[in-house]
Amino acid sequence: MNFNAFKEAVIAQCECLGIADYELYYQAAESTSVSAFQHALNQFTGSAEGGVCLRCLVDGKMGYASTEDMDPNKAAALVERCVDNAKTLESCDPEFLGEGGQSYAELTLQNYALPSTEKLIEKVLATQEAIYAADPAVIDGSSTQGIAERSEFAIYNSRGLDLHYENTVTGLVVAAVVTNGTEKANDYQIKLGQLDSLDSEALTKKAAKTALGKLGGDVAPTGQYPVVFDPEAMSDLLQTFSSIFSSEVAQKGLSKFADQEGKVVAAPCVTIVDDPFHPENPMPINFDAEGSPTATKAVVESGVLNTLLYNLKTANKAGKKTTGNASKGGYDSPVAVRPFSMYLAGGDITEEELLRKAGNGVYINSLGGLHAGANPISGDFSLQSAGFLIENGVKTTAVKSFTVAGNFYELLKNITAVANNSHLPTAMGMTAFGAPTTLVEGLSIAGK
Amino acid sequence: MISREICQRILHKALSTGADYAELFAENTVNHTIHMIDSRVDAIKDGIIAGAAIRLYKGLRSVMATTVDTSEKGLLACAEKAAEALGQGSAPMDIVLRERIFGDIHPVKIVPSSVANARKVEILKEGYFAAREYDESIVQTSGTLLDVDHNILIATSEGLYTRDRQIRTRLSIDAVADKGQGTQTGGCRPGSRMGLEMFDTICPKNVGIHAAKQAVTMAGAGYCPAGVMPVAIDNGFGGVIFHEACGHSLEASAVAYGRSQFAGKLGEKIANEKVTAIDDGTIPNAWGSINIDDEGTPAQKNVLIENGILKSYMIDKFNGRRMGMASTGNARRQSYAYTPTSRMTNTYIAPGEDKNEDIIASIEYGLYAKEMGGGSVNPVTGEFNFAVNEGYIVRNGVICEPVRGASLVGKGSDVIRNIDMVGSDLDMGQGMCGSSSGSVPTNVGQPLIRVSSITVGGR
Repeated sequence: MNFNAFKEAVIAQCECLGIADYELYYQAAESTSVSAFQHALNQFTGSAEGGVCLRCLVDGKMGYASTEDMDPNKAAALVERCVDNAKTLESCDPEFLGEGGQSYAELTLQNYALPSTEKLIEKVLATQEAIYAADPAVIDGSSTQGIAERSEFAIYNSRGLDLHYENTVTGLVVAAVVTNGTEKANDYQIKLGQLDSLDSEALTKKAAKTALGKLGGDVAPTGQYPVVFDPEAMSDLLQTFSSIFSSEVAQKGLSKFADQEGKVVAAPCVTIVDDPFHPENPMPINFDAEGSPTATKAVVESGVLNTLLYNLKTANKAGKKTTGNASKGGYDSPVAVRPFSMYLAGGDITEEELLRKAGNGVYINSLGGLHAGANPISGDFSLQSAGFLIENGVKTTAVKSFTVAGNFYELLKNITAVANNSHLPTAMGMTAFGAPTTLVEGLSIAGK
Repeated sequence: MISREICQRILHKALSTGADYAELFAENTVNHTIHMIDSRVDAIKDGIIAGAAIRLYKGLRSVMATTVDTSEKGLLACAEKAAEALGQGSAPMDIVLRERIFGDIHPVKIVPSSVANARKVEILKEGYFAAREYDESIVQTSGTLLDVDHNILIATSEGLYTRDRQIRTRLSIDAVADKGQGTQTGGCRPGSRMGLEMFDTICPKNVGIHAAKQAVTMAGAGYCPAGVMPVAIDNGFGGVIFHEACGHSLEASAVAYGRSQFAGKLGEKIANEKVTAIDDGTIPNAWGSINIDDEGTPAQKNVLIENGILKSYMIDKFNGRRMGMASTGNARRQSYAYTPTSRMTNTYIAPGEDKNEDIIASIEYGLYAKEMGGGSVNPVTGEFNFAVNEGYIVRNGVICEPVRGASLVGKGSDVIRNIDMVGSDLDMGQGMCGSSSGSVPTNVGQPLIRVSSITVGGR
């Protein structure tokens, strides 16, 4: 597989057909993952993948075609499919390719060599033993996993863009299954960083402790209560509804924020930031999928919707500048809009103080079925939950198998406190979400 | 495609460090999607997935290496990488590959890649505009016509050398309606393991109308009340309840590791005696059907639960080793880049003897879930959830007003004991099921059923 040879062949074909505006987006990854079950190695995967997406402007319309087969002899077929697809499109909003010669923020990338297979195996087996040692109630280390991935992508176009990005991520996934004799519960924890710096013991203790907390739970009562979301549950909610901040979604009439820029959309304690350089995100990035420079911005500031997220096409339509949020779901996806590290900013009280403020209510630390029980278009959600009761300002009995229901647009207005512990709980890729412990009024709990 | 002779050399290299089983899986897939929104064709996704994976087993260890370089040189390097990961071992066995052709039980009349974009756009527009123009409360519509041409080659150290071509077509229409009480959505997504002849039997217009009608109904609905109540779940995509509450927990990927509520329970009564559940990959042209699974095992019809008694799990070769059981033809992977594991195909609750009218009449106060949305499950605990896309309150045995925003939560082992009435009108719905081996097409199905008691999330 040789991207450069394929690129040259595609360029030659585009020029031969008189296509003036074209762009190649190349993505490749090399990854290793090792998993253990009980006390032995179970699975090893070493993968190498990569693909290229061509887009070109034909009569003002942007066609796409992609392939993983980078045989230069097949370049002409890719161009032909791309042109044919462009001609089939009917969209009339002007499309653009990014311009060369833009300036980008300085970036320090984690670009180290992948750990050797032996080292990865050693770390995974040691972590697996740490799980069993973490608590006598642990009956299964499930799938402790070590992962290492080196990924790269490149954008090259006829307007002078020629950008390249390379990054390495390594990490551990630990899972603990615990039992009290009559019932089982489990928990997963993920931690990224260089293998030597990852503390297996702390991670496994956390997984065991969280799993233990889920045992013996009661069913929550039905009714309306103050609800406290822990950082992970709140990040999950923010992620599920993050498309409401996309100008692309808004321009299609699928977000209520379509004409709300500059207006109050949330409680005064709500500030939501999108930061491409967040220190907890292992994949900081200084250019977006169209090659525009990225930047940190407050999307919502003290309750006011500052800006939606834009790419070149949606910004042009709105008469604005791109916010550098063009994104591609995969190398073969059309350019869309997405945040990088989007988080609800923390406040200045501790979680304990926030719980005292809640008084009596429900603390949720796990949400399930987000892809099904939440509708990003209407904002409605009704989600499987687990957590604790809050009685007189402290967490008491574990509760599970209940739902929390509400509407995300209303939830933003009903946030009454945010704690000072905002972080990104599971930053695994370029897009990550974060939040502090958050107190919300007016949600419905359905339990017994 | 890669010749038998090359496969032989690759497998030989792969076995060089003492693996007791080797498999080469190569793929060339064309994915084509036309998307419409704002009454215009706004995007076409058109991609070729091409690559190969080599898997090795040594006892209960498995190794996989993948590559996009499917030349002999690239495949040899991939085989070497896999072999190295396994470590040191003895000299390999000899392999003689024999080509085998399994019959094609899913004939295709119109191969989508042979049809011009213009014809596909016509089909999509018929569905799209039927939804867009259905009612003045429809404020947005989107639609997708997907076709997939998935070509696989499998060669194993057991001597198998075979290929399969899997063509799928699917039309999805989504509608958004607003009657001044907030937007609501409706959708319809029929799919089939066939070519564009799918539209000889499924009228695109009806797909659009179905989606729009649901959105309009829900836009006029109030919120679903919360509580524990009996629920009648209709046929078709309603079968997602079995898929989530029970199906995932019967997959070897959970059972082999003791991570399932149903591990070690073969022959035991785990469900109400009215429940018989089947996974059948051989239904001609059904969305979840296959000729062979992704390890080269022919598809089967497997009775999972018969009159409440657990009869079988869904098993792939690798997890079958740990369980001491043979593959049931359920190994599936989204593409070469994913390690295959046991997955569902077309999974359904078999028809029973209750009458639909009796089921509804038996409910004094409860919910009628006409259409379900997606869901998820934690197989370790069996806790599941799913969304109700179109629900109605049942009062005194009569279906009354529609309600929005409902979800159902519970524990799989409880809910299949609580399925106490099973109707006779089996129908299936199409879905994409996501799990560790990626996203694969699956059918869910059932007749109308009653769950005597379940937690309904609402407000």
